[in-house]
Amino acid sequence: MIGDLIDGPLWYFSAAVFLLGVLWRVFEILRAGVARDLAPPRAGGSAGAVRALFSRFLPRRSLVKTGKLQLIAGYMFHLGLFALLFFAAPHVDFLEERVTGFGWTPLPHWAFIVASEVAFAGLLLLLLYRLMHPVTRLLSSADEYIGSVLVFVVMLTGCLALARSFEVLRLVHLFSAELLLVYFPFSNLMHAFTFVISRSYTGANMARKGVNA
Amino acid sequence: MRSMEETRWSPAATNCFHLFWILLLAASTFLVIPGGLARAEGVEIPNPGADLWREVRQRDATPVPVPAPTTGIDLWREVRQRNAAAIPAGTTQVSGTDSAELINALGDQWRRFRMEQLVPYGGYVLGGMVLFVALFYFIRGRVPIHAGVSNKVLFRYSVYERMIHWFIASIFLFQAITGIFLLFGRDFLIPVIGHGAFSLLASASKEGHNLFGPLFLLALALIFVRFVRRNIYEKGDLTWLLRGGGVIGKKHVPSNFFNMGEKSMFWLLVFAGGTLVVSGLILIFPNFGQGRALMGLSHAAHGITAIVMTAVIIGHIYIGSIGMEGALEGMKTGYCDLNWAREHHDWWAQRCENEDKILSRDQVGRAGVHSPEPAAGQVVEESGK
Amino acid sequence: MARMKFYCDAERCIECNGCVTACKNVNEVPWGVNRRRVVTIRDGEPGERSLSVACMHCSDAPCAAVCPVDCFYTTDDGLVLHDKDICIGCGYCFYACPFGAPQFPADGAFATRGKMDKCTFCAGGPLEDNSAEEFRKYGANRLAEGKLPLCAEMCATKALLAGDADIVADIYRKRIINRGASVLNRGVSYQNATLRSPSGLSGRATSKE
Repeated sequence: MIGDLIDGPLWYFSAAVFLLGVLWRVFEILRAGVARDLAPPRAGGSAGAVRALFSRFLPRRSLVKTGKLQLIAGYMFHLGLFALLFFAAPHVDFLEERVTGFGWTPLPHWAFIVASEVAFAGLLLLLLYRLMHPVTRLLSSADEYIGSVLVFVVMLTGCLALARSFEVLRLVHLFSAELLLVYFPFSNLMHAFTFVISRSYTGANMARKGVNA
Repeated sequence: MRSMEETRWSPAATNCFHLFWILLLAASTFLVIPGGLARAEGVEIPNPGADLWREVRQRDATPVPVPAPTTGIDLWREVRQRNAAAIPAGTTQVSGTDSAELINALGDQWRRFRMEQLVPYGGYVLGGMVLFVALFYFIRGRVPIHAGVSNKVLFRYSVYERMIHWFIASIFLFQAITGIFLLFGRDFLIPVIGHGAFSLLASASKEGHNLFGPLFLLALALIFVRFVRRNIYEKGDLTWLLRGGGVIGKKHVPSNFFNMGEKSMFWLLVFAGGTLVVSGLILIFPNFGQGRALMGLSHAAHGITAIVMTAVIIGHIYIGSIGMEGALEGMKTGYCDLNWAREHHDWWAQRCENEDKILSRDQVGRAGVHSPEPAAGQVVEESGK
Repeated sequence: MARMKFYCDAERCIECNGCVTACKNVNEVPWGVNRRRVVTIRDGEPGERSLSVACMHCSDAPCAAVCPVDCFYTTDDGLVLHDKDICIGCGYCFYACPFGAPQFPADGAFATRGKMDKCTFCAGGPLEDNSAEEFRKYGANRLAEGKLPLCAEMCATKALLAGDADIVADIYRKRIINRGASVLNRGVSYQNATLRSPSGLSGRATSKE
């Protein structure tokens, strides 16, 4: 009963909320536009935008010096999560069945687990850093905690359902993922999409000003 | 088939036919036997059964000699022996872990260990520890800061140190809970929630336990590298031990940054935790083909160390939370009360006072934003790691 | 109630692995799983013996004792079966079993073994007899059809016996008597007497039949 609800309507609902919410948020940001820069541009913006978009996947040197652990943990979490989200065999199967209609080569099972371990270590360390460091604790609002905890819960339920032989465990994982999908567009988790806009905006802006940043 | 034969062949013809075959067979036998016998004479086939029967027939009064264990019943007696070393190695066409082993002699030992020792005594140890801690709380009560909470604090743990502490703590707690489900769930949970629900829980526990196990290795390594220097035993630790860490008698026993109990806890964590990690890794990688003997041993080591470690951690959690006033503060905020430090780590507190490292609570400020001095030290500590 | 037993006669087993093949075929067990195997002791030496081994359906089964989720049960026929919907694939039964009967479809990293699989005495599992679901999970249920395990039925030398323990024991007892009789008659064991049949005794020396 509840299982059918989670597997069916709730999944479509959350997917729709996610999709529309993300589109709406991105649209709103684009619609807000950019303040007109009256100064004549020194160079075109697009090259800078592209450069900033990719170069900022690498950390700044000053960050490397001061906060090694959160930097490493940050990479661990994001790369691990990316790998396990899009290349774990059960996820590929799910996406093929429900979303894309085509599949791709998944990671072997052990690599999937290693990826999730890396992601778990990163997420736990980042969450603890947020709680332990006085500055990040002051900066963090409920949104960050809800987002982190939701992602953690989704990952944990996924880990508990690894045997792939108990329907209830799969549904718990799916349900937590649906909660995350619904929450996603209205939270800081949107940075998964908006980083493109913000980075390229900054890069373009700086390029027009002739600043190498 | 036979009815067809009978209709087509007359009895005489059948007999002739049979005779022909028998003659042919006999001829071939005569051809084969001499060679076979010649070869067989060279090989002495041990045959204790025949000797036994011959003696029985002769009604010889001499005692029946015990034949050498080569064939027949003796072989099986050997195979069935509980002694693993005496079991002759076998071969088989089936590939698989330990497939060629006819009898797994260690299996029953492992079963008895797990069911008759690990589960009951492990349960007594854990339950006893919880009871002990509760009794201790009701008899001795919370250890207070005798001089009261002061206005001064000392910087005790950096952000990184608190992070890795809670990192290993959360992983250990998860592993302990899932492990307890797997070890005691059959006795305590199945009667309550039934087979199906417990199976769900156990599967989730098993998968979680296996996934988080390697993370414990990472956490343990981080803890070891960070805290090992302060946990080397030194002069004065023996006194602490002899006086039971202050439980015996009223006087406080002097100690440094970590006292003898904390140091022992650290080394137990390192060695028991190391055993847990190594045995756990042996257990969760069956793909390397290790046999049941090694895995059973690993399981035993894993079970014993896990029970001991969990019991110690119960005590650790007690003393770090409700058991002692001011103890949790250091791991929570990074700063500990000066009076607490004086009462529990007086040598360290004295050294901090000498080095003028005492801070007022106002300096630390709200939400633990600290004064520049320890902050700078903290940055150095974090990046200098 | 009948109590089902396997018995493998080591003096007859010729290590042909027919039982292994029959088992794999009738139960359609997954790749890598062998519910039955033939082990040869002293291979190539005098006194070599082979024995076909699978789950022996113990009276006090160690696997059932150690199972953390208690997925084993003993049927009225004395068979030790298990419920794959309960099994979590921990591998404890494999450590405890004296015969190496429990098998796992996978032995991947991070202990991803899959559900345990073992000989069911061709009696299926806890699901409805001979349903497709039962066959997929547990293999054939020949007992429900009134047949005995295929491994024993297929055994060319009739070394592997399966069935009611009393009947299996009777058959084996007769064989032992025959062997003893051949020794009594010829002064050598039946092993050395395979070229000619014993003339005097027909093998019913003490049996009333």
